[in-house]
Amino acid sequence: MNAAYVPSDYLPVFIQLILALGFIVTTMIVTHMVGPKRNSQKKDDPFECGIPVVGDARTPISIKYFLIAILFVLFDVEVIFMYPWAVNFKQLGVTGFLEMILFMGLLLSGFYYVIRKGVLKWE
Amino acid sequence: MLPIILLSVFGIALLFLGFAKSKAILLPATLLFIAIAFGASFVDWGKNYMYFNDMLLSTNLSIAFTAIVLLSAFMVVSLSSSFLEDESAQPAEYYAIMLFSLVGAIMMISFENLIMLFVGVEILSVAMYVLTGSDKRNLRSNEAALKYFLMGSFATGIMLFGLALLYGTSGSFVLSDLRSYVNGGVAYGSPLLLYMGLLLLLVGILFKVSAAPFHFWTPDVYEGAPTLFTAFMSTVVKTAGFAALLRLLSFSFTGIYSFWGVILMAVTVITLVVSNFTAVYQSSFKRMMAYSSISHAGYLLIALTAVGQQSKQALVFYSLAYSVATIAAFGVLLVVSRHQSGEGKPTDESYDAFNGLARQNPLLGFIMTVAMLSLAGIPLTAGFWGKFMVFTTAANRGIFWLLVVAVLMSAVSIYYYFRVIIAMYLRDGQTTAIRVAPFYRYVLIAATILTIVLGILPNLVRSLV
Amino acid sequence: MQPTQQVLIPEVIQQIPLNYYLIFSTALFVIGIIGVLTRRNAIIIFMSIELMLNAVNMLLIAFSSYKSDPTGQVFVFFIMAVAAAEVAVGLAIIVMIYRNTRSIDIGALNKLKW
Repeated sequence: MNAAYVPSDYLPVFIQLILALGFIVTTMIVTHMVGPKRNSQKKDDPFECGIPVVGDARTPISIKYFLIAILFVLFDVEVIFMYPWAVNFKQLGVTGFLEMILFMGLLLSGFYYVIRKGVLKWE
Repeated sequence: MLPIILLSVFGIALLFLGFAKSKAILLPATLLFIAIAFGASFVDWGKNYMYFNDMLLSTNLSIAFTAIVLLSAFMVVSLSSSFLEDESAQPAEYYAIMLFSLVGAIMMISFENLIMLFVGVEILSVAMYVLTGSDKRNLRSNEAALKYFLMGSFATGIMLFGLALLYGTSGSFVLSDLRSYVNGGVAYGSPLLLYMGLLLLLVGILFKVSAAPFHFWTPDVYEGAPTLFTAFMSTVVKTAGFAALLRLLSFSFTGIYSFWGVILMAVTVITLVVSNFTAVYQSSFKRMMAYSSISHAGYLLIALTAVGQQSKQALVFYSLAYSVATIAAFGVLLVVSRHQSGEGKPTDESYDAFNGLARQNPLLGFIMTVAMLSLAGIPLTAGFWGKFMVFTTAANRGIFWLLVVAVLMSAVSIYYYFRVIIAMYLRDGQTTAIRVAPFYRYVLIAATILTIVLGILPNLVRSLV
Repeated sequence: MQPTQQVLIPEVIQQIPLNYYLIFSTALFVIGIIGVLTRRNAIIIFMSIELMLNAVNMLLIAFSSYKSDPTGQVFVFFIMAVAAAEVAVGLAIIVMIYRNTRSIDIGALNKLKW
């Protein structure tokens, strides 16, 4: 384990980097060259399917999406407390298990509260 | 540590009580919960216990601060009956958030591990962001919430960087390890990290207790937030923040007093001068109370600057006196502004709202007068003894120039506190007799009596700690 | 907590000196601070604050692995969980303001002034 890294060790990383960048650049150039191009006033407008442009592109979205996204962030992050617990599951024994059940119970009661509040109802 | 567990469970219980048909049960239930937690906090009286794998330490001092915080919360909640009349309000959630925030406050008061300090600060602050913005349709409340949120999390980031540097230099988050490191233990990193870390940590917490020059958010937030939550914020957050500072500075970092002592002195002077002179120019009562709370942070900082056994007593007594008087003052403001909106007038929170109040409502006038006298530090009120004890600590430490500044500034403060009293007794106004609900009245009267009793017999509390 | 624990540091980690992590985190943190102080959009200010928190996480992890002491990483877990709660509340406040004012520029918020 005492081998110091020499510059040549980074070669694979560089190859990967060049490949990734190269792929993006090539596809962008190729699509521009190969694809057909027909420019006109109508073509360059957004929503070209015959209907005149109406209103702003930023229409309000339902608050439901926002609530669900927020709830996802909240409950999602709590998983990080389970990783160290799972790794040390055997050493922590029954006490650790009960503590985790308590933790999950608290989360679940929060989840139940969310459901009772009707946040997840779509209609 | 019973109150932490109890309050968490009670908070969740309240959320579910909110689903019940009748909202009337919520207020008594919350009061009962806080009272139980208040009683339970004294279980550990006289013992020094470590809890939760050395995360929290319970001492008589921490219990005293816990009791003050719970008492303030009890009084604030008992003034909250207006929720039940308001259609858009969600009392169950407000009460639950208040209980959760108390958990955070108790963690800040009795932490032994810096992780708990961070978690406590965050529980308290996040709860406060929500309560500040709870008046959803009101633009001022929205704006206050956003300002508080952005500034508060900025301060949290700074505090965290300080904690990380302290960890890097000492290798531990435990206060006693930090103490032995500061007093000449084995160093991991350069001492520069220690000084930078402590400085950033101090900035973070001073921000939370709104000491100048980190106070600029306070007036806006206090003015924009619903009055009830302003009362909660200005008492609970401040008490908890100073308890945390006391715990840090009087235990872990006494070894480098020469470093933070100077910084705190500078902050104290700036706080006292800026807040008192700005308060003079306010026309809004609520904004004046915001600057008044900043100036009281300044007086409390004096006790911290002259840290010692006496300063613990002084901090406990001062926090108690300040909390009780502040809640009484906000309670009267709440009654008056609700009376105005009940009569269809626009809510006025300037001094003029109190014009002629005492003619028709001698009781409210008296309560407000006692609160103002106590905040100004006039003898025979609790505030006088609070200031007296704080000044004594500074005198014992030999910091006389600070004392001179503080005394001059409290002379300035008399001007703006007496403006309210003058408006109530000498100005003409159309305030008619205000009907106050009996329970509300009892709480305000109890606060007044407590202020006077502590002003006459200060040893009641002083001998305890 | 003796310096002899230094032996336990995996050699791979030692390839990069601790100071580099310190400088890197400080740079990230300062970028965050500058973002908070100069931007006018509430969401971008908020992102800058998150950047500050993540700079702290980075620093804690670096210190923690150099000391072979897991406490620092546990703290990072707490910071992440608490930051998630803060994000939820913060975004809710921003959405509330957007619904009332149709803007999230903090310049539009000038109702409260002395």
